[in-house]
Amino acid sequence: MGDLGTGKKERQALARRRETLSQGAILIIAIVAVIPVAYFVRSNLVLSLMTQAVIAGVLATSVGFLIRQSGTVTFGNAAFYGTAAYCVALPLKAGLSLPLGIVLALVIPPALAYLLGLVIVRIPGIAFSMLTLAIGQALSELALKARWLTGGEDGFSFALPKTVMGLDASLLQRPSSMLIFSWSVLVLVLFGLSWFSRSRYGRVVAAIRENEERARFIGYQTVSRRAATFALSALVASIGGVLATLYNSFVSPETMHWSLSGMALIMAIIGGTQMLWGPLAGAAFVFFAKDWAGDIGEHWQAVIGVILIVVTVGLPGGISGAMMQIASRGSRLFKGRGAP
Amino acid sequence: MIVQLINGLAYGGLLYLVAVGLVLIFGLRQVVNFAHGSLFMLGAYVGYVISFYVGFWAGLAVAIAVLGILGTLLDIAVFGPLRHRGPMTTVLVTFGLALILEDFAQAIWGKGLRLQQPPPSLSGTVEIFGDSFPIYRLAVIAIAAIVCLGLAIWMRKTRVGLFVRASSVDPEGTAMQGVNTDRLSILVVGLGTSLSGLAGVIAAPLLSLSPSMGSYVLIDSFIVVVLGGIGSFSGAFLAAILIGQIHNLGVIFVPSLAAVIPLALMSIVLMWRPSGLAGTEA
Repeated sequence: MGDLGTGKKERQALARRRETLSQGAILIIAIVAVIPVAYFVRSNLVLSLMTQAVIAGVLATSVGFLIRQSGTVTFGNAAFYGTAAYCVALPLKAGLSLPLGIVLALVIPPALAYLLGLVIVRIPGIAFSMLTLAIGQALSELALKARWLTGGEDGFSFALPKTVMGLDASLLQRPSSMLIFSWSVLVLVLFGLSWFSRSRYGRVVAAIRENEERARFIGYQTVSRRAATFALSALVASIGGVLATLYNSFVSPETMHWSLSGMALIMAIIGGTQMLWGPLAGAAFVFFAKDWAGDIGEHWQAVIGVILIVVTVGLPGGISGAMMQIASRGSRLFKGRGAP
Repeated sequence: MIVQLINGLAYGGLLYLVAVGLVLIFGLRQVVNFAHGSLFMLGAYVGYVISFYVGFWAGLAVAIAVLGILGTLLDIAVFGPLRHRGPMTTVLVTFGLALILEDFAQAIWGKGLRLQQPPPSLSGTVEIFGDSFPIYRLAVIAIAAIVCLGLAIWMRKTRVGLFVRASSVDPEGTAMQGVNTDRLSILVVGLGTSLSGLAGVIAAPLLSLSPSMGSYVLIDSFIVVVLGGIGSFSGAFLAAILIGQIHNLGVIFVPSLAAVIPLALMSIVLMWRPSGLAGTEA
């Protein structure tokens, strides 16, 4: 390991190494923590809900991440989610390999997003959001009409290969094992996004979000960076699409409809976009609210609508923001009333 | 062929009726109203229910009134207080309202389709160039034209219309000149929603009622608003006719692209001239 001196540079390097180690430890703990959950929860229904919530959480995270990092709202991420799903499904239907499909799914939608982004990130304000709505819906309609490719309104189901990289493929369709897998992927995604936002590139993107003109005056290329952020958001959405289609072994153009993007946005808002894990909390909330409201009545849609309004108007930080506020107030109380 | 053109005109007329309310609301409050489709749907159901007791035209009148009142409440409670919070806030709130209204309609009337017959005075067909054609479709075109004309006259010849036009172009300047833009907004938003209620009742015999009929027209009406030019009412009329024709003729000649063309046009306009929709940057 070598002997590190005590100069400033050495102390900074040591601090960074400690931070990386602790980050790594949190990552591993977060992933491993779900295993006892998957083991002890006996109800397949609850496990299935949790898995669906996690997968939806990935899509919600893609939307929330773009809001957090770039300050823009997209209604089009379902199109990337669905395209990725088809990238996995079509090769399998044609008898080609699964890894090929996964690679396609993680390359094509983000590349498409980057190219689109280069054009559309220049558009300010709500026009950008409406543009993502139009483009996403156009892709969805194309998919709907291309019956020969997509199965049209009915979609199509397909079979997974027997084994995937040596593991039994049916593990992907069992709620307990899929929960562990999707959760691990989600945790890795969150860490990746966190790393991105703390990187130099990510911090420039944040500066662009705050004041694009100033960033440009300083000399940064704002359009390519914002397009890259848009593409990163699309990549996360694509990961969600891959997970969803592996879990269900079924695709249909419905996965590309703007209402799915809308639901992802609602999850991100309810959960809060300040924290990277906010959208996941929102997704979990929406899924379990749907389950609980099912007992009260079939009015979960109205419940979500009300909560969306309440959060938008009164609780801009969402669930995660509220929790962080409570946590910081609690810790301040705990440490004694000193100025923070 | 003539039949198809007239069909396209009928759908275009309907789209105009839906979209013009949106244009009014956007022009004055600079908000994209995601609840507009649900209000349209609500108007259709109100008209449907009332028409059982006192006929179609009474149903139309009641729907217009009810939706107008709802619109004024919407402006007082939502658009007004939230106007300083940025456009995304109202988008999200109206989105939530749309969910609530759709659930409300589902709860009362169920998810299934309901049919509505056109009023007896407008049912039946008429011969045009050898093809028989439903009178009701022609009536829809006529109603749309009348509304367009009425709005144009109101905009140009009355004081209030002048204020509305001025406020759509420059809200602050108009307010500085002494126009009470808040009261104006309440009036205009109410008018906009009553028009969507009108559109809903008119649409019911054509489209059949269902709680999701709102989302069916929502995107198309956004397209009409964008294509017509924000704040331009005559533009909205032309755009609606255009979209109506594309919708109908497209299905015949290029079915796989029919739905995409309006979306592509909207995208192009948004990229070329986003200024209307983007509003003033904070």
